[in-house]
Amino acid sequence: MPFHSFIAKLVTQRRAAVWWAVALISAASIYVLVTRMKLDTEVLNLLPTGFESVEGLKVYNRDFSQVRELTFALVSQPEDVDKLEEFAPQFAQRLREQPWCTRVLAGAPIETPEGIRDLQSIAVPLLLNLEPAAFNETLALLEPQKIRERLQRLHQELEAGSPRPQIELGLDPLGVIGPALKPFAGNAAMEEDQPLTSPDRTMRVFLTVTNQASLSAFDCQKLMREVKAFQQSAHEGWDGGPLQILVTGRSAYVAEISLSMRHDIVITLLGSIVLVGAVFYIGFHRWLPLLGMGFSLLLCCLVALAAGLLIFHELNMVTVGFCAILIGLGVDFAILVFGRYQQARDEGSDHTAAVSEAVLTLGKAIFFGALTTAVGFMALLLAGSRGFTQLGVLIALGISFAGIFMLTVFFLVLPRKASTPRRDWMFDLVKKYVRWTVRRPGPMLWISIPLLLLLTAIALSPRPPIIFDVSTHSMEPKRSDAGYALKTIMEKMPARWEPVIGMVQAKDPQQLHDYWQKIAAHWTEVQAAGKIKGFSTPAALALSPARLQTNRERLRSANLSAARDALEAAIAAEGFSRETFDSAFTLLEQLQGAAYPSVQLPDWRTQLPPASSWWFLVDRYFAHDPLLATGFVTTNEPVATQEQKEMLHRELPVAGIPMVLSGWSFTLTDLVPWSQRQLILISALMAIFDVTLLAVLYRDWRLWLIQVATLAMAVCAMIASMKVLQIPLNLLNVLAFRLVLAIGVDYGIYVLLVWQKARQLDHDVAGVVKPVILAGLTAICGFGSLGAANNPTLAGLGYACALGLFWSLAATIFFTLPAAAAAEPKSWREESLQPRVKEPENV
Amino acid sequence: MFKHLSTSLILGFLFLAPLASADPLSPADLKSLLARIREKRAAAPQVQADFQEEKNVRMLNKPIVSSGKIWFQSPNRFRREAKGNAPSLTVSDGQQLWIYYPNFKSAEHYSLGKRSPLDAGIAAITASLNLENVEAIYHITGAKESDGYLLQLAPRNPSMKRLLQTFSIKMNNELQVVRTEMVQPNGDRIATTYSNETRAPIPASTFEFTPPAGTDVTTPLGR
Repeated sequence: MPFHSFIAKLVTQRRAAVWWAVALISAASIYVLVTRMKLDTEVLNLLPTGFESVEGLKVYNRDFSQVRELTFALVSQPEDVDKLEEFAPQFAQRLREQPWCTRVLAGAPIETPEGIRDLQSIAVPLLLNLEPAAFNETLALLEPQKIRERLQRLHQELEAGSPRPQIELGLDPLGVIGPALKPFAGNAAMEEDQPLTSPDRTMRVFLTVTNQASLSAFDCQKLMREVKAFQQSAHEGWDGGPLQILVTGRSAYVAEISLSMRHDIVITLLGSIVLVGAVFYIGFHRWLPLLGMGFSLLLCCLVALAAGLLIFHELNMVTVGFCAILIGLGVDFAILVFGRYQQARDEGSDHTAAVSEAVLTLGKAIFFGALTTAVGFMALLLAGSRGFTQLGVLIALGISFAGIFMLTVFFLVLPRKASTPRRDWMFDLVKKYVRWTVRRPGPMLWISIPLLLLLTAIALSPRPPIIFDVSTHSMEPKRSDAGYALKTIMEKMPARWEPVIGMVQAKDPQQLHDYWQKIAAHWTEVQAAGKIKGFSTPAALALSPARLQTNRERLRSANLSAARDALEAAIAAEGFSRETFDSAFTLLEQLQGAAYPSVQLPDWRTQLPPASSWWFLVDRYFAHDPLLATGFVTTNEPVATQEQKEMLHRELPVAGIPMVLSGWSFTLTDLVPWSQRQLILISALMAIFDVTLLAVLYRDWRLWLIQVATLAMAVCAMIASMKVLQIPLNLLNVLAFRLVLAIGVDYGIYVLLVWQKARQLDHDVAGVVKPVILAGLTAICGFGSLGAANNPTLAGLGYACALGLFWSLAATIFFTLPAAAAAEPKSWREESLQPRVKEPENV
Repeated sequence: MFKHLSTSLILGFLFLAPLASADPLSPADLKSLLARIREKRAAAPQVQADFQEEKNVRMLNKPIVSSGKIWFQSPNRFRREAKGNAPSLTVSDGQQLWIYYPNFKSAEHYSLGKRSPLDAGIAAITASLNLENVEAIYHITGAKESDGYLLQLAPRNPSMKRLLQTFSIKMNNELQVVRTEMVQPNGDRIATTYSNETRAPIPASTFEFTPPAGTDVTTPLGR
């Protein structure tokens, strides 16, 4: 029994068995979804693997506390700057009181008494970590004569009204903490590096570390709900004009992006359903097949998701969102099949015969259509990204299931009794066009070829250039509060652009110390050469056990008792109050203790209170694993070009030190070649597959050539439209080219396969051209509806695909068809248009 | 970090006034008095005088007493020379501030106008000596005393409040400043008395300073 007859018999005479099979498959799929559903919410998993910068970002996100930072900004009117200054401490206090807040940085830690006290508490290890020569120099300051001279000088400066003695005595009454902090000098003070007040004083920035359980999208959303509630009440006590309370940070972005993604999925899915339904109804004036189509598509999604879960054990949230694409693609099959089925019914065939006819006529076309699309998406495996791999496999599976279900399950829902035939104006119109263009292909070709060639010329011309947007902004939702906050901060504090990070993992503390000493020295040279604006490293905080040992031995030879006596005497002689020097005596005691080898030096990490603002500095540099640390390089300009990235790749690493360079801007710039490779190489591979498949499929070099030209011109027209309409390419919508190649080629396949087998050209070809037009329109609407997405990359993908499919459809109708006709002798065309069977009235 | 510290710079220019019994000035009278002061200052924008200063600083058990001479030119240039065992020279042209210690052959250099904490201190000095736009910076109350006027100034903005708690200016009937007193939030107190005030022109070079050869120059605020 032929395959088409077998299918027809199965879905018409073994309906119950097929329904049971459907129920079984559905139940199994639902079971898998319910029991195994695990969503991967990590946005970084969408980026390709194998890139050091991407892996670096993942490590940074996973292992450093700084990713739990939220940045708040208060923005006032210029006339309220004094009020803002007064309000800032209240706001900081309120932040500290929030249950989700671990600590707050509202100003440089060294400006507060607590910050000074905390710094004094870790002075000993910092002092002992000095280079031996510097340590000896510092120790010399504790000689009695030096102590006397210093206090005498400070007294005189105090008399002269200098601010210096009060600074110095407040922070460092013994005079040895200053030298211990010298290694920080290269790192710049936090306030200088990251100013917390804008130059015009209208903005104050507050850094907070949150205690959110994890960085997952759901935890970020939960945190941000609490933060939003705080934002609503945080104006309390403010009596000035309008005050903006802005917040940004990784959690703010993740919460927004994940929520906007949910919004996008709902909106675009609803949009797709409404648009597709409208197009279907306009084309066929029937509801039941529409429901059947919806049911079959739902089944495709269900089975594909279940299969995806079984394969990958978890699914990226973005991947699930992209299942909307599957609906756009699967609809094509339903429209084609139903179009042919309905045509057969209108011609008088019964249900079984019409099913058989639809499967016979379109089975091969749908098989190859599904194959090209599946291969197109499977090509995403070459992208090397976990998210895209899942997407590719999921849609490839889904489209294959769509091919199967539309040729089987879909027929179960169709009414077995024929409805009253109605006049089909669309079919009439298409048939007239087919008849005209087959008879006289010249006029149509004279219009379409110059237009397509013109667009091809625009596409190939260097001007206007195609815009390639790889900025972090291109990944933000269109209406992003976090993005607005960051933009405002960047505008008011232009120095605050994102640094490049250099991460180093060491085996032990000594190696970490040695690595960062070398890196700091090297980066100083790079900075001196003007290649970077500045840098900061954890060199001063990376303690060297060897140095500590050497300096402790040296400390043993110092006469600290004499220093203590000299200090007592100098205080009395100069008339200083003793309480000013309390911390100096404490430090002397600690140094005396440290001189004994039996005394265990306290870990400075345990000395700092958890709420100390200095943790902002420490966490900035050190991961949870203290042997993993990062340095920051501020570039002369924000990283945006390959030249900058290459220069940094060349200049920043130090021979023999394994360093990972990363940072968002750096990574996105790093991914541009990957993205371009995606665009060119993988699209080229897809094109090669298409042209090979077409050669096998048609076995007619003229039709093959026509179809290849159609594809090439459609893609060029798409590029030209993007150039003219200034639609930028981004890291995601480069996928559109592959999609267009995969889907666009199907239109030609459907038309030309029927062309080759047509018994009466205008009738048979119009029978497929009408569904192709409807399928094309639904796909364009489906992708176009992505334009409503809040996420610009998703919207960009939608626009690009809609444009590409529009040109594929237009090229198929206005170029492929007349070109195929022109390739045949006039006599053959005339003959082919003659009716071979009696044509019913109402087709 | 340094905001609360720069006050001592100001202290050399101000002196303490005992709050004797006095008749408070009405707002209208106060406004009129300030207008008269501004008028007088505008006619002769420069002033030089001898000073005697007493600083009570928490860090020291005993007050520091010093004397010397100051020169001031509106709006923000000044020079202060302290004599005695611990001589010092402080010079500002409005953009730079130098403090020179002849005994140590060392000098401190500060840049003003870069949102340095010193700026608030300098603004306090110049506003009080100048009394221009003083209402914008301070809440002012005044009283008429038998031998002149007493103005009480309380800073309006937070940066000034961190530096200064109260600031009083005692003037004689000729509207010459005779005493100032400044109390800082940390309790430090500086009182200065002025004498031999003259308003003769002052050469521009008075407000310029170049460190002598061999001077060790430092920039404590790093800018």
